[in-house]
Amino acid sequence: MLSVIKLRLLRLRDEWMIFVFMTAMALGFTAIFGASFTTYKPTVYIVDEDKSYYSQALISELNTYKDFKFKEADIKAAEKDIEEGNVSMGLLIKEGFQRNVEEGLSISLGIMKIKDDTVILTLQEIVSGITMKMAGANRIADVTAAFIQSAKPDSDFEKIRSSSYDNVMDSWKYKNPIFVKATVAESGIQAGYDGLMHSMIGFTLFFSMYTMVFGIGTILYDKQHKTWERMLISPVSRTGILGGSMIVAYITGAVQMGVLILSGKYLIGIDWGNSMAGVLLVSAAFIFAVTSLGLMMTGFIKTQAQLGSIAPIVLTSTSMLGGCMWPLEIVNNKALLLLAELTPQKWAMQGIESIASSGMGFEAAILPSMVLTVMGITFFTIGAFSLNKQSI
Amino acid sequence: MLRIENLYKEFGNIKAVNNISFEVKRGQVFGLLGPNGAGKSTAISMISTLIEPTKGDIFFEGKSILKDSKPIRQRLGVVPQDIALYPTLTGYENLSFWGSVNGLKGQELKNRILEVSDIIGLNGRLNDRVDKYSGGMKRRLNIGAALLHKPELLIMDEPTVGIDPQSRNHILDTVLELNKQGMTIIYTSHYMEEVEYLCNELCIMDEGNIIASGTQQELVDLVKEKTQINLKLDKNDEEVINHLMEIKGVYEAKINENVINLFGSSTDVLLADIIAKVTENGWMIETIDVKKPNLESVFLHLTGKALRD
Repeated sequence: MLSVIKLRLLRLRDEWMIFVFMTAMALGFTAIFGASFTTYKPTVYIVDEDKSYYSQALISELNTYKDFKFKEADIKAAEKDIEEGNVSMGLLIKEGFQRNVEEGLSISLGIMKIKDDTVILTLQEIVSGITMKMAGANRIADVTAAFIQSAKPDSDFEKIRSSSYDNVMDSWKYKNPIFVKATVAESGIQAGYDGLMHSMIGFTLFFSMYTMVFGIGTILYDKQHKTWERMLISPVSRTGILGGSMIVAYITGAVQMGVLILSGKYLIGIDWGNSMAGVLLVSAAFIFAVTSLGLMMTGFIKTQAQLGSIAPIVLTSTSMLGGCMWPLEIVNNKALLLLAELTPQKWAMQGIESIASSGMGFEAAILPSMVLTVMGITFFTIGAFSLNKQSI
Repeated sequence: MLRIENLYKEFGNIKAVNNISFEVKRGQVFGLLGPNGAGKSTAISMISTLIEPTKGDIFFEGKSILKDSKPIRQRLGVVPQDIALYPTLTGYENLSFWGSVNGLKGQELKNRILEVSDIIGLNGRLNDRVDKYSGGMKRRLNIGAALLHKPELLIMDEPTVGIDPQSRNHILDTVLELNKQGMTIIYTSHYMEEVEYLCNELCIMDEGNIIASGTQQELVDLVKEKTQINLKLDKNDEEVINHLMEIKGVYEAKINENVINLFGSSTDVLLADIIAKVTENGWMIETIDVKKPNLESVFLHLTGKALRD
């Protein structure tokens, strides 16, 4: 086996470019896509039909939320741009908004949209929170002004009320009455979603898969140059030949993932969470699963050129399914979600993202690692069987 | 040393090897002669444990290699028909790898690489990448890779395909030298001259079957009645033919483009009788050409087709 390991390492001399290229691609794509996800702000048109103190106060509050870009527009322009898909949504502050707030009535607001999505839900929650805060502040201001006026009848009710309202609203800006510290067990796109982190994990997995699959695909190079048959009739056992080939492909994949994890940390500033051991465990199981997947593919095809054609299709499609390119939370189709369960990428993403994004510990790595190991064993068995079937 | 018993190999409906049996004795250069597609390489693949026979058995030193292939693998060297080397590695790296998979290491491996490179005549080019080698040099390195562990049995599957005459001669001389040193060799080829030059004993294969086997003389004796003498006289007509047909042992005579083709059973007797007959009749011999039977004639005689058809 040692001689096979030595040979494979020697042959890396011919393939170092793939290694460097795939590592550079992963880092490059992470930087590009990660930055895009992080800085993306949906534009929201605000149509203010009330044009009141309270409607302006609402707009002013909304502008403090940096996840959206709010722009005031008239109703016609808003409808046109939303219909044409230039803007994804709009907020309509209907006439009578101020009166309703003051009188504690149902608040008249409308959301202009073409379809429901998670971003609209987030906006609805924000607007609802602000209006409730405004209604609450208004009520407090009423009670306060009434109380002061009863104690001091010559005081100006409206002035006190207005001043009280401003003070209450102002106080929200600086301190929250209740401080909640929560640990999120299940991360959704709104809660704890980190575009840069997702991209880093996704592209690390996606690009390192190529190195692993083409690493074990060196068996096809051997088949093509007839050195595979020559090895098979040597005293080295088939276990030794396969084992040696797998070990080097595994080490190459591990080194690349290690480089990407460290580059993510020190070049892009990724925080890999509280359990580096968990991240490494999932990575180790993922490398085994993918190297074995490569072995299985190698067992069914004949040349490196065929692998060069098939591998990108298999790896890209499974990476899309497995959530390397986008979060699976935005996928609603049950069939796609079921297929995702069958990809190594899904489990690796789940394991690493739970630790790195959602603050979970080592325990989050256990199930994904087990599933990946089972996948790896299955792929390896099929691959080894198909490679061995024609020999004594 | 090696005994093949009733070996079959089928690929689907194709019978690549059909019930062949033969024995290779220690110290022999044993030839497998046959055209492309005769089943030689399939037989070699089974002997070298690469593929499993459909039926039959192979015994190495009395033990079935189908039950345990390890003993033969440790003592076997195989020179495959295709060049099985790593083109982007140097000659030295290739030899080093093939030596190490055959159990050599350290100083022993280094010494053997130098010895083998001397045998194959590549000691000045070992540090060059194999893809920079000529076809003949690759062939020689391909042989060298099988010699490193000093195998007792060397199987060479068409080792001279597609190379220049100089490299070919070098390879043939190397085979004889290795055999002189005690190595048993199985040599497959579709070049009749190579097998004639090298082998003590051989099998002729065609379409998966062994159609003849034995020493070269035994095989040639199968077609000795096919001795052909081409005679050009100053007179070529029916009268001459009738006189020549009177010679004992001549069973056919015909005129072909002013040359009389005589077919008979024994060259020595025939030649003396022919010259006597010609002299007796006062004719003049312009040219005389004796074609002794060879393995090509044997193959033609047995199959009705030429070896390279």
